Amino acid sequence: MTSTLPRPAAPATDPEAPRPPRGRTDLTFRQRLSRFDVKASPYLYISPFFLTFGLIGLFPLVYTFVVSMYDWQLLQGQGEFVGFENFANVLQDPFFWNSIFNTFSIFLLSSIPQIAVALVIAAVLDQNIKAKTFWRMSVLLPYVVAPVAVALIFSDMFGEQSGLVNNLLGLIGIDPVQWKHDTLASHFAIATMVNWRWTGYNALILLAAMQAIPRDLYESAALDGAGGVRRFFSITVPSIRPTLIFVIITATIGGLQIFAEPKLFDVTSAGGIGGFDRQFQTTVLYLWEMAFFRGNFGEAAAIAWLLFLLIVLIGLINFLLSRRIATAETRIDKKRTARRLRAHADRASQGLVGEGAGVEERGNR
Amino acid sequence: MTAPAQTRIFPVRRQSPLPKRGGRLGRPGFLAYGLLTAVLLGSAYPLWWSVVLGSGTNATRSETLPLLPGGNFFANAAKVFDAIPFWTALGNSLLVSSIITLSVVTFSTLAGYAFAKLRFRGRNGLMVFVVATMAIPTQLGIIPLFIMMKQLGWTGTLGAVIVPTLVTAFGVFFMRQYLVDVIPDELIEAARVDGANQIRTFFHVAVPAARPAMAILALFTFMMAWTDFLWPLIVLSPTNPTLQTALAQLQSGYYVDYSVVLTGAVLSVVPLLVLFVLAGRQLVAGIMQGAVKG
Amino acid sequence: MTYSRRTRAAAAVAGAASIALLAAGCAPAGGSGGSESGEQIELTITTFGTMGFEELYTQFEDENPGVKIVANNIDTGGNARTDAFTKLGAGSGLSDVVAIEEGWLGQIMEVSDQFVDLRDHGIEDRKDDWVPWKYEQATDAEGRVIGYGTDIGPEGICFNGPALEAAGLPSDREGFAEFIGGADATWESYFAAGKQYQEATGKAWYDHSGFVWNAMVNQLDEGYYTADGELNVEGNAELEERFGWLSDAVGNDLSAAQSAWDWNKGKSFVDGTFATFMCPGWMLGVMKGKIEQGGGDASTGWDFADVFPGGPANWGGSFLSVSATSKHPEEAAALASFITEPENQVTAFNAAGPFPSTVGAQEELASAGSGDEFFNGAPTGQILAARAEGVVAQFKGPQDSVIQENVFGPALQSLDRGELDGPGAWAKAIDLLNQLVEQ
Repeated sequence: MTSTLPRPAAPATDPEAPRPPRGRTDLTFRQRLSRFDVKASPYLYISPFFLTFGLIGLFPLVYTFVVSMYDWQLLQGQGEFVGFENFANVLQDPFFWNSIFNTFSIFLLSSIPQIAVALVIAAVLDQNIKAKTFWRMSVLLPYVVAPVAVALIFSDMFGEQSGLVNNLLGLIGIDPVQWKHDTLASHFAIATMVNWRWTGYNALILLAAMQAIPRDLYESAALDGAGGVRRFFSITVPSIRPTLIFVIITATIGGLQIFAEPKLFDVTSAGGIGGFDRQFQTTVLYLWEMAFFRGNFGEAAAIAWLLFLLIVLIGLINFLLSRRIATAETRIDKKRTARRLRAHADRASQGLVGEGAGVEERGNR
Repeated sequence: MTAPAQTRIFPVRRQSPLPKRGGRLGRPGFLAYGLLTAVLLGSAYPLWWSVVLGSGTNATRSETLPLLPGGNFFANAAKVFDAIPFWTALGNSLLVSSIITLSVVTFSTLAGYAFAKLRFRGRNGLMVFVVATMAIPTQLGIIPLFIMMKQLGWTGTLGAVIVPTLVTAFGVFFMRQYLVDVIPDELIEAARVDGANQIRTFFHVAVPAARPAMAILALFTFMMAWTDFLWPLIVLSPTNPTLQTALAQLQSGYYVDYSVVLTGAVLSVVPLLVLFVLAGRQLVAGIMQGAVKG
Repeated sequence: MTYSRRTRAAAAVAGAASIALLAAGCAPAGGSGGSESGEQIELTITTFGTMGFEELYTQFEDENPGVKIVANNIDTGGNARTDAFTKLGAGSGLSDVVAIEEGWLGQIMEVSDQFVDLRDHGIEDRKDDWVPWKYEQATDAEGRVIGYGTDIGPEGICFNGPALEAAGLPSDREGFAEFIGGADATWESYFAAGKQYQEATGKAWYDHSGFVWNAMVNQLDEGYYTADGELNVEGNAELEERFGWLSDAVGNDLSAAQSAWDWNKGKSFVDGTFATFMCPGWMLGVMKGKIEQGGGDASTGWDFADVFPGGPANWGGSFLSVSATSKHPEEAAALASFITEPENQVTAFNAAGPFPSTVGAQEELASAGSGDEFFNGAPTGQILAARAEGVVAQFKGPQDSVIQENVFGPALQSLDRGELDGPGAWAKAIDLLNQLVEQ
């Protein structure tokens, strides 16, 4: 980038320059106004975000903690202060741990195959295929189907007695699977919904990372006699590791919040709380049940906080992991900058960064 | 400032000093296209299956792998409109998603520009804060939000759905990452030397440069708002639902007609499918762009 | 309701949020907006399932030109419960008239002051319209009456004639009734008949144990709660004994272990998966829909018999209440009262099948004797009227529906599916009870 040009010296307007002593008022009103403008504007620009975010993001989080300290019911409202009793109750609640188990089980069943398949799709898309945009759009198609619609469609397909999936399994002689009653099968079915919607999306993210890998790496490896699979594992996968971790972490955070799919997977059982025996009740669904089905706001708030801590914990693990990777990366940092530039150029040449080009065209018109 | 002068600074069209990427090693063979076709079928068949069953009869349902739609789609669509306030829900979803999108994009661009290009005390600290809060799911605050909406008497109104998503930390982060690369500092400097005040600089330098990212952020925000389920389920009533909560109602009944449910699912997908056809390329580009930035 | 300082602070902050919203260039949209332009009054009513009121709304609007009815029907009683409680919790949003199901009436009674005392609107003058226990159920501890009774759910047994015939067993209404024990039918005789059927065909006798259990509990003088409102499940010998009967029945393969409300998308009614079914009046409409969905019709051969094991039983039934937040309580009460008048209950019955809770309507249906084509010409009104005789009110505690659905529901499914034996399933139910219901 060209931002290394020396900045014009403008001490009167540069907020970081040493301040002129007060009282020396050879500044005109206009200049003073301008200086105020420079100083105040940044705060003016960020304040709508921070004020609103404080109200709708931060305050509720803190207030959740307050609620969790009380006996607080949906109908009766705030009751007595109970300290950490709600937390203790939740931590001793087998349903809570059941929901944590289900959440992680569904997460593992969704993230691992999802990322594996996404990698393969991305690798194929990274080749010099025809009709690139068409194929890219085709993998993204499920992304436009909202989770609720996904849940409706797939809970029908996973019908136990005459659903599409069991019909097809019957063709190859497999007995009907109890998709809604069996714990593992139900997790698999819900993971399938998640996978269906997100695999293509993640494939595109991985594809973007793959496109930033210098092609000469592949060429020299090919000259050294490395086959396609070998190149994939020794060049592609290591090169896109940061992106891979990014994808895994976003999948985790998303996975910890699965709600619509289990809520709607088997609504006829037990009021839609995640299976007749809670065999696929996720933690967010349990939070919903506690708050709006059982009406216990205090314990529900405690569940929310525990879930929050879990997400923070996973975020920290993420941070540490990516830091380690980042230190390994700095060595080739320069190379990466070059790669980025080239990736930009590449994508522009493929018409993918169409929006950038679009603006330019508009400007020239 | 004239428009061409700004748009020329775009990095995306900079001539790369590196040679253009040549042909890939070997040409993708039958296997690659076979796999992509399989993925395409896997992506599309569940939707197609919903169309087929939504338009079929009971006989369609007993086929092992139904492929051809029947003639009952409009009859079932009529039943959907009968069972749920579909048009109200569609209108509500459009309104809610549009307002949220407008708000998120506006505030994110403002804040993202300040973080990317303006110097102020506390900038780094506040940015770290933004990044740190990015992972906090708003749904963890549903209980206090519910209590707040109760105090305000907003329960059941669209405002209750809109307000909690008016800004996102992700939006600010996204715009900041984009603008930090895209606007050279000297351009802002030049604007100031020309006598433009801050807000003028924002509108005449930052906004035009930010437009592509704003479009992408708008798409994603719209998707997010459109697909949200948990909070509208809690705070809205069945009479004044969003599309998602209305759709969920279709399924849980004493006797559910599953053809109607699937028809409803198909109908609910149509608006986003249209968006997908119109802006699919941008969506693809946006996801890939986000990947490089993120 | 009193607000603490903290919640007031929350309100203040939330108020600021609304200013932020306005700053964003938009105002909260929606809201019912009581459009009181002119004389026109808008009355909202929330019902669930199939209540058959549509015709009555039109009629009421015709008779009261100033009133426009905005009706909202929620799919199931369970979802209506969640909706109602969320709105009660939110302190706003309830319709003027709200349908309340017997199963969660106990919980509503805990916040009965959220509903209008209908004695202020003359319900006492109509007291004798209803069967006495229905009126009592809607009366809270302080004597306030908060609901106009709509329907009740006297139970008979539905059976599939062709299936019994194929097994060489009596397949006509009277013959079937005698076969399972006639006027003195007990659960023992019902299950004995089932064993005979099962041995002849290898097929299940009833769809799943949850509905049978429900009937068994509902016909007791006291169910999950004592009449004084004490929870009484653990160590309740009456319940445990009945649970044992069910466990034996399951052991004899009498249960088809179906998922309730799904029944394989109705197909299980058509393909002979099971031969008998617990049928409260309102279930007939549900069944009809399910059978049609499963590809069946009247020729599938379901019939309705005037018999019930273990004596008369009632399952469900609803009330229409007027929420305390209603802006038009007078008109809302008038609407609710209108819908529950005897002749209008007959209209609702003919439209959707819920059996009336008023004596006059029951008498009319009993004498009408017209047959229901779909159920092999069974005189359903007459049979239900007979089945309603001797039904007693059972006290419904605050957690009754939770105990039924979320405590015994999962335990019985495990039993049905052979995952647990009788004692194991009972222990599971007790375990769930201790988790879910505060003692």
